[in-house]
Amino acid sequence: MKEIILETRELTHIYAKGTPYEKTAVNGMNIKIEKGELVGIIGHTGSGKSTLVQHFNGLLKPDGGQIFLDGHDMWENKADIRKVRFKVGVCFQYPEYQLFEETVYKDIAFGPKNMGLDKDEINRRVIEAMKYVGLDESYADKSAFDLSGGEKRRAAIAGVMAMSPEVLILDEPCAGLDPAGRDMLLSLIKNYRESTGSTVIFVSHNMDDIAKIATRVLVVNDGKEAMYGTVDEVFSRCDELKAMGLDVPAVTDLFMKLKMIYPQLDAGVYDINKAADILYSLLKGGAVRA
Amino acid sequence: MLKDITIGQYFPTGSPVHSLDPRAKIIITIFYIVVVFLCKSFASLGLCCAVLLIFILISRVPVKMFLKSIKAILPIILFTAFLNIFYIGGGKVLFTWKFISVSEKGLYTAAFMTVRIILLIISGSALTYTTTPTMLTDGMERLLSPLKVFHVPVHTLAMMMTLALRFIPTLIDEIERITNAQKARGADLESGNFVQRAKALVPVLVPLFISAFRRAYELAFAMECRCYRGGEGRTRMKQMKLKMPDYLSFAVVVLFTAGVILLNNIYPVL
Ligand SMILES: Nc1ncnc2c1ncn2[C@@H]1O[C@H](COP(=O)(O)OP(=O)(O)OP(=O)(O)O)[C@@H](O)[C@H]1O
Ligand SMILES: [Mg+2]
Repeated sequence: MKEIILETRELTHIYAKGTPYEKTAVNGMNIKIEKGELVGIIGHTGSGKSTLVQHFNGLLKPDGGQIFLDGHDMWENKADIRKVRFKVGVCFQYPEYQLFEETVYKDIAFGPKNMGLDKDEINRRVIEAMKYVGLDESYADKSAFDLSGGEKRRAAIAGVMAMSPEVLILDEPCAGLDPAGRDMLLSLIKNYRESTGSTVIFVSHNMDDIAKIATRVLVVNDGKEAMYGTVDEVFSRCDELKAMGLDVPAVTDLFMKLKMIYPQLDAGVYDINKAADILYSLLKGGAVRA
Repeated sequence: MLKDITIGQYFPTGSPVHSLDPRAKIIITIFYIVVVFLCKSFASLGLCCAVLLIFILISRVPVKMFLKSIKAILPIILFTAFLNIFYIGGGKVLFTWKFISVSEKGLYTAAFMTVRIILLIISGSALTYTTTPTMLTDGMERLLSPLKVFHVPVHTLAMMMTLALRFIPTLIDEIERITNAQKARGADLESGNFVQRAKALVPVLVPLFISAFRRAYELAFAMECRCYRGGEGRTRMKQMKLKMPDYLSFAVVVLFTAGVILLNNIYPVL
């Protein structure tokens, strides 16, 4: 078994505790995230995904339970919480609204600068981060406010990547992007993980996105971990996902319907290429009668 | 922390007090405050308390909410009470220690002032707890509309106020969001000397201003698209009309004033 980088034990978070608006957003969650995984988190609106993610870098303090980073309780020593933020980089929903510097370069350099790195190292990291998100050097001196929405998004993500966190967390990185921008960002994320070997966690509403790049899937329902496993394991439980009000990948949905006619089919198919192969052999095998 | 601000908060319960005409409520509140200042005896002040309590009970806003708004200005209340206790002389001296002396009259005045301030705060919060900010500004606009004769842009002012109130919670959310995002990039907002802290605010303030302007533009466009062009010739979706309960409350207030004046004369001494 691989090394565990993040672990939660009975993690609980309650908003507005002690008021009539009290809300338990995370409710006794137990999960272990292994080093080098690409974890996709999915769950319907208000299920507590963003709240969970904000615990991973110590922005929110648990109201109950513990959270471990590299085997150490994050809140054991309160003074060290800023170090946690350098190890775990979080990029929030709609990160483009956090840009503030005059140029893209300076904005990406904000994180590394806060880490107290020297100038050459900062420069190296900024250029590297820009490469990861596919912004070429002509963007470096542009004003962050003159970019398109998708470019701003990528600049903001680069700002977190430039800190070279051991764990990169992206909260709905694809929200509000067109299909091309979405695909591009997904392959950038995948590529980033492959070339740096870091752990990546990303939150998404879109099952297809998760099916495309994730190695593991965490399904959150009402502040609890409803399912946590490999992509195959999770998508083979389509009915449960649907009962939670979640979508399944379009291909899986098709296969579920096909299964009603051909019970021998495996419903947990989410990869379009694999689906094509299966259908091909099904046709060839003569199972389909006119 | 920012979310704890209760002043000016609306607390919906759907009670009869909530559905009173905002103009009636504004006038009654102002009237009530004047009457509280006219009180000369504990008896009349007691009547003020009783009337306010009845209104609160009818409004069904939990008493806890009022305690919260008193808590916010507790230092001011304590400060005035202390000044009164130690500086007002007269009557029997109750207590002396070195140069400090507490007299009977001082104690009475302090108690009187404290109750008075608390009544003011509670009546003010009762107004905002039972009236939405929009209703409140609408009511004020209508009450101030005679000033249009003197070319005071009443409608514009009211609209500005409505929008400002509407955007306070939005901006508070936004501040929290941006602060978190910058903290995640290692921004240190909590330590350092004054200059360092002021500098550390730049990464929060710049995005905040930008988004505030963006929202302002978007709102302006949206309003123009709906053909908004100021108050001229503009009618209202919700016509304000004084109804039976409003007149009834006015009657109660008049009776109450008469009662206070009466009690002032019966028990005139402090
Ligand atoms: N600052 C806050 N104060 C009070 N309640 C909050 C706060 N933030 C979130 N909540 C509540 O906590 C619950 C979980 O919110 P969270 O943002 O974690 O959901 P989410 O899964 O990220 O949803 P989405 O997919 O819409 O982003 C929601 O019911 C929300 O109303
Ligand atoms: Mg969220």
